[in-house]
Amino acid sequence: MSAVAPPRRTPRVATPLRRDTDRPQLRVVQPARPVHTLLYALATIVVLAGAIFGTVTLNALAAAHAVEARELEARVVEGERVYAQRLADVAALEDPARIRDAAMELGLVPAGPSRHLALTRALPADGAVTETLPGDSADPLKPVLSADR
Amino acid sequence: MTEPRRLATRPRRRIVRRGAGATAVHRLRWLLGVYLLIAAIVVAQLVRVQVVDAPGYADLSASQRARVIELAGERGRIYDRDGDVLATTVQAATVYADPRAFRSRETPDGRTVPPAADAAAVAAQLAPLLERDASELEELLTGDNHFAYLARQIDHEVGVTIRELGLEGIGVIAEPERTYPAEGLAGQVVGFTGIDGEGLQGLEARYDDLLLGRPGMLTLERAPGGLDIASGTRELIPSEPGTDLVLTLDREVQHAAERAAAEVTAAHGAAGASVLVLEVGTGDILAMASAPTFDPNERGDADPETWRNRAVTDVFEPGSTQKALTIAAAIEEGLVDEDEVLRVPTGITVADKTFTDATPQPTSDWSVSEIMERSSNVGTIAIAQELGAERLDTYLRSFGEGSSTGTGFPGESTGLLSPVDQWWSTSLPTIAIGQGVAVSLLQLANSYATLGNDGVAVAPRIVRGTVGDDGRLTPSADPAERRVVSADTAQQVQRMLERVVSGESGTGSLAAVDGYRVAGKTGTARKPSADSRGYAGEYIATFVGFAPAEDPQLVVAVMVDEPGPVYYGGLVAAPVFSEVMGTALASRRVLPQDPGTSLEDAIAAAAAARAEAEVAPAAAAVPSPAER
Repeated sequence: MSAVAPPRRTPRVATPLRRDTDRPQLRVVQPARPVHTLLYALATIVVLAGAIFGTVTLNALAAAHAVEARELEARVVEGERVYAQRLADVAALEDPARIRDAAMELGLVPAGPSRHLALTRALPADGAVTETLPGDSADPLKPVLSADR
Repeated sequence: MTEPRRLATRPRRRIVRRGAGATAVHRLRWLLGVYLLIAAIVVAQLVRVQVVDAPGYADLSASQRARVIELAGERGRIYDRDGDVLATTVQAATVYADPRAFRSRETPDGRTVPPAADAAAVAAQLAPLLERDASELEELLTGDNHFAYLARQIDHEVGVTIRELGLEGIGVIAEPERTYPAEGLAGQVVGFTGIDGEGLQGLEARYDDLLLGRPGMLTLERAPGGLDIASGTRELIPSEPGTDLVLTLDREVQHAAERAAAEVTAAHGAAGASVLVLEVGTGDILAMASAPTFDPNERGDADPETWRNRAVTDVFEPGSTQKALTIAAAIEEGLVDEDEVLRVPTGITVADKTFTDATPQPTSDWSVSEIMERSSNVGTIAIAQELGAERLDTYLRSFGEGSSTGTGFPGESTGLLSPVDQWWSTSLPTIAIGQGVAVSLLQLANSYATLGNDGVAVAPRIVRGTVGDDGRLTPSADPAERRVVSADTAQQVQRMLERVVSGESGTGSLAAVDGYRVAGKTGTARKPSADSRGYAGEYIATFVGFAPAEDPQLVVAVMVDEPGPVYYGGLVAAPVFSEVMGTALASRRVLPQDPGTSLEDAIAAAAAARAEAEVAPAAAAVPSPAER
């Protein structure tokens, strides 16, 4: 005989019978719309195709821009090379010895001791007002000594 | 009792014949086990590859894909004081060959592969472009190596032409080339770099660290065929250009100095000549020229002896130019003044050695100014004896003799001035007149600049400043100044030196510059013998002075080495001073005392000069001393 007392049975409470008036109102449920598998498949394909197209397009654009950027960089490098070369060329052309030789070939002669001139009137750069000067065409000093140079 | 319980209590297993379905399940279980085992192996491999060995594989992958290009940092330019380029870098082309392309080879399976190109044909195509002999090129192409330079730093356009030929085994790369556009102007000052861009001589070597740029790096991804992946990873670490150097040189004045040095060397059959122009107030070196010179672009063809900037590396006895310093020291010590009259005998004997003037004179009463004007050895020695060795030594050192000027120019000499306790019995008289002592031309010019600057010495400088990335000039530190003699002493010496040029008995009359008051001193010194004690038969002719005398702006120092047969400073060096000083004053826009000439007179003078040139065109090509 077991020492453990069997669980005491509780008397089942009798539930009152449901009446027809307690039953929830039943209604006709519309059946779920049938899922069109084909539509889903198409949508998936479209989305995937769009994603792939977008990715490829962006990649192609990036590649195209990269190529363009590289071309621009190459142009910049070439421009810098040309600039450096031009700078050297200009410096070579400005070489005083070359200018002297060119001047001699053109028939110019070495300047004498007169390196400074005593002008009979002041120039604008020396504080003279414009009105005191004649017009440009009348000023024999204009081509050489104009303050506009 | 149910059936399973009954089976479990049975003592021994009973063979049960399975049905077909149970066998299939059994086999599937085995298959699953094998699959799981394989999956485990795969996963383990994945872990090994993706986790454990990942860094190594990543490096391997990167090395296969990545292409690293080193971007050379452009070397800084060197400008004159007005921003005219003296040294710059341009892009040149270097042509190389892979000789493997010109020889047959065997594959691992023993087949013989013929050469990719014919060496003789390629050499014949390249020879006229590279201006080299075809046989030389063919020898390089058929060498037993993997790489050979065919030409370095040739014109960019030639490189483009060769690249467009598409020759097998021939490559062209861009390489920076240092160039000196003004055909060697200031070549001895600027110096030059090696073919790999490292400074070797002159300021290129002195400021190599500053001029050198910092190289950058471009990392690209490339496909197996070697093509760059346009959308691949691209990492750029830009190169940094070197700092530009702005010198104190004035290109026009430098050209005048170089031309004058070359002409006087040729005219007097001299071994060489040096000319230096210094600005008095600032210590700026406007020109520093020596003849014979060289073109850094063609340095391989030049004698290395011409590479030196002899105005700072070589020393010589200053001769009579030293007398101004000796007399300045005596005036500063209050022993004499410019108007004090001294009895000057024909000769003066010190330690059994008798000194006379270059042209012995009878005993005369001369003022100190006359002693300077006549460049009297006897009078100067007499003054130096009053001064004494100690004080003379102190003043000469204070004027800069025996020590560096501080320009930091490579190979700069400190000169020779023995400590006073090592002087001989005749050292005092000889050093007082510029013998037994040696100075560089820069030291000599700087001592006269001190006199012209009212007694204040300004350390000379060759670098005006630097230009960084922002394009702004960062000026060099102001040069150090120190007083050597008082303003009154300096002005007395200035007046005495003016008499040397303008006085009736002056030795430097040929140094005069039209329109300006000039002060200066001639010097003629015998050269010490190179292989024995005493002096050789050659001379050094010098002239140093400043202008305008009333407000000194510029110092010009001229040294002519071994002129002949005329060797006096007043005849050989003074005209050079006049020419260079005239050009320098005009270039620096220093107004003459009396501009004088009107436009009409100038036009008439030009017409006369032209007519003269047309009559004698050959004479116009090389101006005579009178024209200078």
